[in-house]
Amino acid sequence: MKKISYALLIFAITATIIFAGDGKKYGKEISLKNKTKIGDILSNPAKYDGKKVLVEGTVVGVCESRGCWIELSGEKDFQKIKVKVNDGEIVFPLEAKGKKALVEGEVYSVEVEKKSDCSGTCGEKDKSKEDECQHTKKTEKVYQIKGFGAKI
Amino acid sequence: MNWRKWNNILHRDIGYISVGLIIIYSISGIAVNHISDWNPNYIINKQTFKIKPVSDSTLSSDQIVKKVLSELKINDSVKSFFRSEKKSIEIFLEGKTISANLTIGKVNIETVKNRTIIKETNFLHLNHPKKIWTYVADAFAITLIFLAISGLFVLKGKKGFEGRGKWLMLIGFLIPILFLIFYL
Repeated sequence: MKKISYALLIFAITATIIFAGDGKKYGKEISLKNKTKIGDILSNPAKYDGKKVLVEGTVVGVCESRGCWIELSGEKDFQKIKVKVNDGEIVFPLEAKGKKALVEGEVYSVEVEKKSDCSGTCGEKDKSKEDECQHTKKTEKVYQIKGFGAKI
Repeated sequence: MNWRKWNNILHRDIGYISVGLIIIYSISGIAVNHISDWNPNYIINKQTFKIKPVSDSTLSSDQIVKKVLSELKINDSVKSFFRSEKKSIEIFLEGKTISANLTIGKVNIETVKNRTIIKETNFLHLNHPKKIWTYVADAFAITLIFLAISGLFVLKGKKGFEGRGKWLMLIGFLIPILFLIFYL
């Protein structure tokens, strides 16, 4: 019994030492030293397109089913940016919501379809058939970060 | 000592060692197999409440947080908050997210709890620890191949591989083959 107690104690101390520290790490080691403001990326995204950045923000959204993305808030109200990671390579836990995160990744853009409101020349009859309302569908460029490593 | 005796000894003892991992991988296998029907890691509860609309535009975000929490009679400590737009606020508490539409006073509270044991089995099965666990998982996969093959030769005679064993093994192979023919 004494031996088991000692073994458990040593295990607990080792685990505490291993897992202690400032935040849990995900993916690759963070290599950049200088942080880029999320607000700066959002205000001039084309400047950062394809560039590797280190950003810090509060996690305000997490992919519920697979943990494959998080949303980070900017320095000011109403600012947020999505950090997408390869499925399975990094899995963000839901517990990350509300915590500070440091993320390293590359800024990139994606074309997303704007939700059609079936307005314009589309008649009442067509409103129920959004697929046939092609002429009202528009796309927009959204900037995200492809995350390589994070500390939360 | 003949080869069959060694086969049986290894099959038995490696089998004992593998029981824990087989159970872990099987539980998680079932859990993630139904990922479209449920969240295999978390129990997520969503509730909607109504509070008095917060229309005072002079209030700071901190004051809005206090007001919303006092309306909801929640005393938990606030981790952080976020305003995605002027009319709304999200307040993050431990295991809880409050999303409030300030103009209409509609509040959604999302509570997240871990699915104990299943979450841990998924963590290992889906190789979230990475690093050395990758090699443990590889070794376990090789062990399973060994157990499958050595299991064929545990018994001799009618109930062994030479008897009905080979036919049952064939059925086992036919199951995935038939599915591939129908679904591919």
